[in-house]
Amino acid sequence: MAGDKFRVNIIITGVGGQGNVLASQMVALAAGDSGFGVTVGETFGASQRGGSVMSHVRLFGGEALGPLIPKGKADIVVGFEPLETLRILREYGNPGTAVIMNTRPVYPLGVLIGETAYPSLAEVVEAVRRMSRQLQRVEATRLAQEAGSALAANMVMVGALAGSGLLPLAEEAYRRVIASQFRPELRDLNLRAFQLGVDAVRQNGGDGGKQR
Amino acid sequence: MKKLMTGNEAFALGAYQAGVVVGAGYPGTPSTEILMNFARYPGVYAEWSPNEKVALDVGVGAAYAGGRALVTTKHVGLNVAADSLFYAVYTGLKGGLVIINADDPEMHSSQNEQDNRYYAKFAMVPMLEPSDSQEALEFVRLAMEISETFDTPVIIRSNTRLSHSKSVVTIEQEGMVAVGEGGEAAAGERPVYERNIPKYVMVPGFARQRHPVVLERMACLTSYAETVPVNHIMQGSPKLGIIAAGVAYQYAREVFPDATFLKLGMVYPLPSELFKKLVSQVERVVVVEELEPFIEEHVRLMGIPVMGKEVFSRTGEFSPDKVRYSAARAGLVDSPLQAPPEVGPPLPARPPMLCPGCAHRGIFYALQRLRAVVLGDIGCYTLGALPPLNAMHTCGCMGAGVGVVHGMDRVGVRDRTVAVIGDSTLFHSGIPPLINILYNRGVSTVIVLDNRVTAMTGHQENPGSGITLLKEPTQEISIENLVRGIGFTKVDVINPYHFPEVVRVLREHMDCGQPSVVIARYPCILHTREKYPPCTVDRETCNDCGNCLRIGCTPISKVDGGVDIDGALCNGCGLCAVICPSGAIKAAGGTPATGINAGQANY
Repeated sequence: MAGDKFRVNIIITGVGGQGNVLASQMVALAAGDSGFGVTVGETFGASQRGGSVMSHVRLFGGEALGPLIPKGKADIVVGFEPLETLRILREYGNPGTAVIMNTRPVYPLGVLIGETAYPSLAEVVEAVRRMSRQLQRVEATRLAQEAGSALAANMVMVGALAGSGLLPLAEEAYRRVIASQFRPELRDLNLRAFQLGVDAVRQNGGDGGKQR
Repeated sequence: MKKLMTGNEAFALGAYQAGVVVGAGYPGTPSTEILMNFARYPGVYAEWSPNEKVALDVGVGAAYAGGRALVTTKHVGLNVAADSLFYAVYTGLKGGLVIINADDPEMHSSQNEQDNRYYAKFAMVPMLEPSDSQEALEFVRLAMEISETFDTPVIIRSNTRLSHSKSVVTIEQEGMVAVGEGGEAAAGERPVYERNIPKYVMVPGFARQRHPVVLERMACLTSYAETVPVNHIMQGSPKLGIIAAGVAYQYAREVFPDATFLKLGMVYPLPSELFKKLVSQVERVVVVEELEPFIEEHVRLMGIPVMGKEVFSRTGEFSPDKVRYSAARAGLVDSPLQAPPEVGPPLPARPPMLCPGCAHRGIFYALQRLRAVVLGDIGCYTLGALPPLNAMHTCGCMGAGVGVVHGMDRVGVRDRTVAVIGDSTLFHSGIPPLINILYNRGVSTVIVLDNRVTAMTGHQENPGSGITLLKEPTQEISIENLVRGIGFTKVDVINPYHFPEVVRVLREHMDCGQPSVVIARYPCILHTREKYPPCTVDRETCNDCGNCLRIGCTPISKVDGGVDIDGALCNGCGLCAVICPSGAIKAAGGTPATGINAGQANY
């Protein structure tokens, strides 16, 4: 059980349709089952149709926190898409923020039709590194395909968060939650995706991920 | 038992535990999931009504009969239901009637950010406002008690943040908890409707007798508000007293951890004596409330000097930062203003857009090509207004376009005009303006974008779906029979994926000089998960004309010397292939227009 001063602010961000809400649900339930206080703030509605989305997950001991993380106060940013990761980091990050990022871009319409330019992945990575304490890159979409469906990239990212050791939660707590939340026919796929995420950050350096 | 619940899930559980037997509503972000969750509890009746007014009338009927009733709506839905709200306040009810109303500060999914606390004052109905999921659960039961004790509907005000945030709820008891006096219908007895014409028939003579009753009731409720435990003072520093309610209370707690608080769980009527008590205890009083100065106005009218909207914004949603920044600027907190974080060049924006393979895309592309002025309303298809389609030109509220097109046609404009409306919004509020076009000798064309589901709010059933909220099969309301029954003689049903037919039929209807309806029907592919083999580009044949980029479909991207289609994202609808002038894009293996190529579709 956490002390009264314990607080961790996590933002999970991506593009509507990537499974943000489900990922935040898994993290929050795993934290709740492990004895932490949790609040989650979501954006859904119109933005679900391919817009920028974010979920705020706050873990705490002591008095409950409100559902929104103050600007500049994210301890961890889990980004399902590079541009959205950078967008959130600019607003909510600080030099102590740890970042886990899926490296596969999803291009906004303005970029697709050639009206605006998407920064190169190298530029995004450089900017994220400069603005954060550490960056773990995960090829979540590819790993999800390996697990059986690109749609499971969200669980790869949950696995990466679990494997990073950034949160004081046992991997088993996540597995129990994932097993309980998915229908039997999707359970194994999502557990596989989770494990691939765990292994990916382990290979990167593990234990808080020193990789820069 | 402890459980992580959204505000909406907690409202639903609260309603179930309070013995609600009838729940009715119309889907509307952020309120939708209340009724969806409520409908899953055993033994309850819940329905999607065609609109919020019908839902409220259904709730009133249930409560007149002695059952406890729940009505859910988003803030603008209460505008639709307002007529019924006002009479229900006059008549009172027998069973409890609780309306859960979700406001949307910041307009995350709405056309305005009206502050519905004014409805409480306007209609003279008590209003509660929980600040987290635990209170959401508990306040439903409290609202039921107030409703039955004072013989009045009660509104619970939620907002997007509360409805969609999850926090831990302590559930003291599983199953149903309280069935009060009015809950006899829940106890299995056959209720008796007590005939009482002067109370329930609001003709002028009887209504005149009820207005004083309402005022007397409000006086009683005002006394009640002084002592109800959900309004209470939390002792802190005598330097600063904060008045707050709802989610704004949570933000205020983070920003002013040492202040004395008057936390209001009941935001109408307001407790004047408690305000006086707070003032006597602190040096300075500040009201922290989102949107309008509702509480502030009341406190100011009492002659109490108070800070409120000169410090905190009247627009948009609050956040801990916004409250802190405003408070620091006004000298209320010592914390220095944070330097703005490092900002680089602006990042490409990412607005929401129509899904790959959406049936609406071809319609809007056709309307753009036909240079039509398109009068719209609210649904996924409102995204047709955004670039590169730019093919919806007005959108005010649900059902609006069908009335607007008639008015515009009466003035007469040079371009073709047409109204577009969804299936769900047609049932909601599109039928009276359709009748209006015929009755008043109009010539307008209306396109019904019929995808058989209420898609924008997350695929809720509607009268055209053939299934109810309780997942029971039911009669599908036929839109073509409906419009022909009204008297439209020029009615065509088209497959929106069949682009050449879409263009031909739309042009013919808009140019025919008589009132007409086009029903563009195809079930929402995001809902049915229908998928076809992805389209491919022959880069040899592609002449880089960019036509396919003008339909705004995310799998298609501009690359050097042509375009590329991302096979992982493409739904295979084939619209890009049909409109490609050089025939460089191929939809091999079937599309929703040509039919399914067995063995390849639905993979």
